[in-house]
Amino acid sequence: MSAVTPDKAAAAPMEQAAPAHRESLWGKAVYKLSRDRMGMIGLGIVLVYLIVAIGVWLGFWATEWGDVEGPKWAPMSAQYPFGTNIIGQDIFQRALYSTKTAFEVGLVVAVLSTIIGALLGALAGFFSGTWIDEIILWIKGVLDSIPFYLFVAAVAFALSGNPYAMHIAMVSTFWTTTGRLVRGEVIKLKNFEFVEAAKAIGVPQLVIIFRHILPNTFHILLVQATIVFVAAIKSEVILSFLGLGVQDGVSWGLMIAESTQEVLAGFFNNFVWASVFLFGLVMAFNMFSDALQDALDPKKVAN
Amino acid sequence: METFQYAIRKLIGGIPLVLGVTFISFLLMVYFGPDKTYELLGKNPTEEQIAEIRHELGYDKPFLVRYGDYLKQMVTLDFGSSDSTGEPVSKILARTVPISLALITPGFILGNVLGIILALIAAYHRSGFIDKFIMGFAVVGMSISFLIVVIAFQIIFSSSYGLNAFPVRGWNASSFIEYLRYITVPTLSTVFVALGYNTRFYRAVLVEEMTRDHVRTAKAFGTRPGKLLYKNILKNSLIPIITRIMFSIPLVIVSGSLIIESYFGIPGIGKVTFDAITTGDQPVLKAVVGLTAVLFVLTLLLTDILYRVVDPRVSLK
Repeated sequence: MSAVTPDKAAAAPMEQAAPAHRESLWGKAVYKLSRDRMGMIGLGIVLVYLIVAIGVWLGFWATEWGDVEGPKWAPMSAQYPFGTNIIGQDIFQRALYSTKTAFEVGLVVAVLSTIIGALLGALAGFFSGTWIDEIILWIKGVLDSIPFYLFVAAVAFALSGNPYAMHIAMVSTFWTTTGRLVRGEVIKLKNFEFVEAAKAIGVPQLVIIFRHILPNTFHILLVQATIVFVAAIKSEVILSFLGLGVQDGVSWGLMIAESTQEVLAGFFNNFVWASVFLFGLVMAFNMFSDALQDALDPKKVAN
Repeated sequence: METFQYAIRKLIGGIPLVLGVTFISFLLMVYFGPDKTYELLGKNPTEEQIAEIRHELGYDKPFLVRYGDYLKQMVTLDFGSSDSTGEPVSKILARTVPISLALITPGFILGNVLGIILALIAAYHRSGFIDKFIMGFAVVGMSISFLIVVIAFQIIFSSSYGLNAFPVRGWNASSFIEYLRYITVPTLSTVFVALGYNTRFYRAVLVEEMTRDHVRTAKAFGTRPGKLLYKNILKNSLIPIITRIMFSIPLVIVSGSLIIESYFGIPGIGKVTFDAITTGDQPVLKAVVGLTAVLFVLTLLLTDILYRVVDPRVSLK
């Protein structure tokens, strides 16, 4: 507690109650995050969804999501908690199964686009002003100027029926924001003394970039990954409606797309429950993402 | 004159971007795009007929020659006629672009204006109950999928389960009343979806400006809160606001209209483009992609000039 700066003094009474290890950046962030009620509620809900998804993946539940044995448009009952859809499939099981699909799409896209964004952003930032930076900026500019849904449609048709066309298209467009933010941060970091010191003792450039500088942008990567996760799940819904989304299995987007026929006939179960599940996960993730940003960004103005 | 020179330099600087966009779209939509050979042939074609059609479509030429042809057509604005309907592409554009603009513009303007107003209210009552209420709604709005909003609004406004007051699908702009009837539900949907994101973004921008020293000084001098909000805060945060609005324009026109148009059955540019991708209608794609890229470069340019207008300190170099 020796280095309490003047502007922190105001918040001192609350901070004194905290354990001492929060002095590190990450310790402080975890402490701040754990005090954020909305963020923790969001995290809790996301974890519940995650357990559901893992259960589906391990085959504990929602194994009969594709069965068509049930009656058409059965109302909500003990046997079919959310009713059945137009061809007699159990909406409850389909909604649960879709949780797995959502996590698959979200995680694959978030992880890959964060990695690509980090690598290219770091290279562009470290070599800013050179041709490497120019080329990476050019790629970013080009990808940003192609309308997203057209790009996905084009990728989907170019890869003709590849089930990962949607993932590939999302990854290749979603990394650009991460890349831009990392580039900015790296430009700032590369003038710090620790980089100069590393250069002076002859550490190779690539080692400086990826061992010394990039780990210092981890807070940006973490926040961006959560934002991309949400964007991927939301895009999946629209793409599935357009027939470009998930090709095998079922997703909330496919359920909503199916339900457009049923809604006209006055059967809302499929639409409502797919929407509720989707909304719950996206909302919880948004709340968690906000809390994470508040906790990790030292510059962010307090609300 | 300085602005003019700047514009020319900026336009020339935009050429690599246009080349990149056309290259990627050529690669995806033409080179790896749908093969139209068999659609144009009759039943049981001979080897020669297949070869002839492939030659006609240019499939037998090497990659770079085909890309060169593609560029040449784009530069000379010779887009030809749609493969599917035979209608000249320029006519298709003249027919569909105004529809998309008429459809998208009201929602786009309302979404941004309401976003700024709500953000001003939230920033004014910062940390208070009203702020938390507005921002809570913004997060809820951000979390609802566009598709859900569209379907829900259709049920509420256009079906017999709800108000049944507006048409569900289609397009009719023969009179102003009809036009209003047809754009109401699509506009409400776009505004609803955009509002959450916009309000949050604008509030963050405004709050950041509020913590600057010059605002504190103005407050100390006893500037009235309304004047402070407008003159010291809003006017000084115009740069990020303009950036956001301008950069969303090219994407809104094509991407934004695509979903609305396919859901509401409106024959605009988004729908035409989507159909062109799925059927491999290359002349239409060429025109749309090329024009979007050019629109992007123009937007970049216009944004820089607007920066200069709102902040004379920005130099055009």
